[in-house]
Amino acid sequence: MDKRAIVCRCLDITVEDVEKAIEMGYTDFESLRRYLGIGFGPCQGRHCYPIVLRILAEKTGRKLEDLPAPRMRPPIIPIPAYILAAARGEGDGEEG
Amino acid sequence: MEKRAEVGIIGGGIIGLATAYELASRGFRDLVVLTASFPGDGSTFRCASGIRASFTTREHIVLMRESIRKWIEWTRGELGRLGLRFMQKGYLWLASTEERVRAYEESIRLQNKLGVPTRLVDPDEAKRIVPVLDTRHLVAALHDPTAGKASPFKTVHALVMYLKSHGIPIHTYTRAEKIEEREEGFRVETSRGTYFFEKLVVAAGAGSPRLLSQLGIETMIKNIPRHAILTEHYKPVIGPLVVDPDTPGAPYIIQTGHGGFYIGRKIPETPETEPYSLKIDYPSLAIKPLLKWFPWLINVTVLRHWMGHYVTTPDHHPIIGPVPGHRNLYVSTGYSGHGYMLSPAAAEIIADYILEGKPKWTEAYRLNIMRIWRGDYIHETAIVG
Ligand SMILES: Cc1cc2nc3c(=O)[nH]c(=O)nc-3n(C[C@H](O)[C@H](O)[C@H](O)COP(=O)(O)OP(=O)(O)OC[C@H]3O[C@@H](n4cnc5c(N)ncnc54)[C@H](O)[C@@H]3O)c2cc1C
Ligand code: FES
Repeated sequence: MDKRAIVCRCLDITVEDVEKAIEMGYTDFESLRRYLGIGFGPCQGRHCYPIVLRILAEKTGRKLEDLPAPRMRPPIIPIPAYILAAARGEGDGEEG
Repeated sequence: MEKRAEVGIIGGGIIGLATAYELASRGFRDLVVLTASFPGDGSTFRCASGIRASFTTREHIVLMRESIRKWIEWTRGELGRLGLRFMQKGYLWLASTEERVRAYEESIRLQNKLGVPTRLVDPDEAKRIVPVLDTRHLVAALHDPTAGKASPFKTVHALVMYLKSHGIPIHTYTRAEKIEEREEGFRVETSRGTYFFEKLVVAAGAGSPRLLSQLGIETMIKNIPRHAILTEHYKPVIGPLVVDPDTPGAPYIIQTGHGGFYIGRKIPETPETEPYSLKIDYPSLAIKPLLKWFPWLINVTVLRHWMGHYVTTPDHHPIIGPVPGHRNLYVSTGYSGHGYMLSPAAAEIIADYILEGKPKWTEAYRLNIMRIWRGDYIHETAIVG
């Protein structure tokens, strides 16, 4: 793979960035993705997680199936605020 | 074979890591950090990363003031070179009523007396501090210029790298399951083998009350769910954390270093709820009250919603220090939503107890667990979200 190839299109993270982080000791996917900041883009990692998992498996000599699948957080697709603002109710927030 | 160390720290959130850092940076190396999953998991990676000294009790004001001094020191030193960065962008507390203004005036008097230069600003000045704020409904605001923010990801990264390069082991995916107190120390059974420590620090966030109850120690802590949402990244337009305590649930907004708007609001909750039981209407409840102050927020896109715990004591002040009747046991938890900001000072307090026998700040003594047992609570009113 070309070192400068982009693995995370939302945040411009390259193959080289991923490999460097793994060399620094980020061999646990949960820590690796937070350190790189991948998954914080609009696609929530749908594009980059599989690629990064593959690089991680290769670099650490593990099988892809042995790496845990990351948890996806809601909402599944980004929600524009104007839709949220149209929802009924002000909510009974608690006194801060 | 048992693994041994003089000091064992249970919990690899900001509190455990900062405590390990503080000990290591003073030359103490015989220690191990155990944590149930990866460093930062728990409340730390879910928090808003706000750091402030604008509180309403002497204990919080003085210790947060010292903590901010340390955040600045950390940024300028080796941790800063490893990427940690405290951005001193302030806090802006909005007031929509005269009554709120009077309450601010009172807390400003106490904060100023204790060396925190907060002040009341009029709507025009508030607008200079946050140009994108709609001040039509604003009566006045409390500005805390010493406050700020720091990315939890960068902070944890810097601490972990520092500990690694100084030979301090962090045993990840190692959950403490059973603690036994012995004459000469503590035997800790974990999901990955048994450990023996002469001194034990319990800094396990929401996991602390259960571990301590095994030693017969009652903390009166409740793990209260708190939610947050995050938007897509935009260019930096809001420097300070802005909070509106006059709206129920005190909604707040802070822009992260990446440019996302992190928004939170307190809603009625049941303690001990699992961190993955999300409320479907939360994103809407959180963002709506802020449209009054930032009408343009209507155009942003929300990417994420999650939940973490406020590990809350009856008086919203932490429990830091030794436990009477339990030799060489130290507790550092119950941060009630303010543990990230206090972590540098909290780490110093525990390191002082372990290495010097006592903390250097008199305010730290009051945070002993004895006050919880006696019901001798510290009264705090400035609680955000
Ligand atoms: C939505 C939200 C917003 C917040 N905003 C702010 C803010 O703006 N400013 C601020 O200062 N604070 C804020 N907080 C509070 C802050 O996140 C916490 O006070 C702080 O992170 C506490 O750190 P900790 O290390 O004590 O706990 P945690 O970060 O929870 O770390 C505890 C660690 O211990 C581990 N653990 C638990 N049980 C065991 C066990 N049995 N064995 C081994 N390991 C164990 C866990 O896996 C975890 O990694 C917020 C919290 C939430 C939820
Ligand atoms: S490609 Fe990485 S978050 Fe979208």
